[in-house]
Amino acid sequence: MLREENHLRHYLILILGILTFVFLIYYFKYYNNVQIILAGGLSAFYCLWGIIHHAVEGRLSRLVFLEYILVGLLVFLLLFTALSI
Amino acid sequence: MYNSLPIEKYMFIHNFLPHPYHRSRARLLSHKALLVYNVFLILFFAFTHYVPKIYPGILGYASDIKISELLNLTNKKRAASGLSELNINNELSKAAYKKAQDMFAKDYWAHVSPDGKEPWDFILAEKYDYSYAGENLAKNFNTSKEVVEAWFSSPSHKDNLLSKNYDEIGFAVVNGTLDGYKTTLVVQMFGRPRTPSYLAKVNEESINEKILESVKEESVVENSAELPKSLETETNGNLFTLSYISLPSVIDVSTAQKVVGLTFGGFITGLFALDVWYSKRKAIPKFTGHTLAHLSILAITVIGIWLALSPGKIL
Repeated sequence: MLREENHLRHYLILILGILTFVFLIYYFKYYNNVQIILAGGLSAFYCLWGIIHHAVEGRLSRLVFLEYILVGLLVFLLLFTALSI
Repeated sequence: MYNSLPIEKYMFIHNFLPHPYHRSRARLLSHKALLVYNVFLILFFAFTHYVPKIYPGILGYASDIKISELLNLTNKKRAASGLSELNINNELSKAAYKKAQDMFAKDYWAHVSPDGKEPWDFILAEKYDYSYAGENLAKNFNTSKEVVEAWFSSPSHKDNLLSKNYDEIGFAVVNGTLDGYKTTLVVQMFGRPRTPSYLAKVNEESINEKILESVKEESVVENSAELPKSLETETNGNLFTLSYISLPSVIDVSTAQKVVGLTFGGFITGLFALDVWYSKRKAIPKFTGHTLAHLSILAITVIGIWLALSPGKIL
C-alpha cells in the first residue's frame, strides 16, 4: 500500500513537472533561446525523475539508468531540432 | 522439410511488439534503437544547420505577408485599445526597406548593425525628422496575422504597437537569404514627425516615383544575386510601400521541422503505446524503466512541438 502511494506520488510529481515545463515552453513561444534552455531543463528533469524513482524503488540498474538518459536525450533532441532552426 | 516462415513472421512482429519470452520491449524500442534515433536527430540537425551555409538558399521559409494586411491589423489593434490609427509614411517605409536590405547585405539579425548603425540612422537618412521613433522586426513568419500576433504577445513590441507617441508607420517586407536560409524579413518603423507640416502631401506623386526608381536601382546593384521577380506597390490613399514578391525555396524549413518532429516523435510514441497495451494484454513483466512514463513525456513532447513551435522570430 505504501509502495503504491509512493508510486502515485512519484507519478504526480512527474506529470506536474512535465506540465510546468510545457507551459513555460508555450509561454516563451517567441523567445527561442529560453525555449531551448527549458527543453534542456525538461530533459534533465525527466532523467533525474527516472533515476531517483528507480533508486527509491531499489530497481535502478545500469540499463535502466541508460534507458532514462536515452529517452531524456531523445526528448531534448526532438524539441531542440524543432526549436533551433 | 522445415518451414521457417511462421517463425520469421513471429520474429518480425517483435520489431514492434514486446517479446513475452525474452521479457523485453520491441526491438525498435531497444537501447540500440533509441541510440540510433538520437543519432538520426543529431544528423538531421547537422543537415539543416550546415547545408544552408554550404549551399545557401536550398532551405527557406515560405511566406505570404502583405503590407496592407500588416497595416490593417496594426491599426485594428490600436483601435481596439482606443488609440488613433497610424498613417503610412513613405520615408519610414523607405527606411524600413533599407534596414531590411542592410540586414541581408551584412547578414545580421539585430536592431543595431555590426558596424553600429542604429534604426534611427536609417530613419534620419531618409530626412525624416522625428520627435519619437521605434522599430519592430520579424522573420520566418508565414502570414501577416502571425507577425502582428507575435509582436502583440511581446510586451516591448506591444508597447511600440500601442504607443500614443506615434502618428506614422512604415513597413518593408523583403525576401532574401539570411544566414544561408531563404527568408522574409519584416521591418516596421514608427515615428512622429517633429513638425506637423512634414505630413503635408506636397508633390506626392513625384516623390513616390523617385522612391520607387531609387529602390529599383539599389536592388539591382546591392542584391544582384537575389533579384526580385518584381516590385509590388500597395496603395493607401496616395502613399505606397514596397515589397518583394516571394521567391520559393527548395525545401521549406518550417514544414521539415513539423514533419520530422511530429512523424518521428509520433512513431516512437506509438511504439511505446503499443508496448503498454500489448504488455498488459499478455501480462508480460519487463525489467526496464517505466514505459508509461516514457509514453507520457514523449506524447507531451510531440504535442509541445505542435504548440510551441513558434511560426517565426521577432526582435
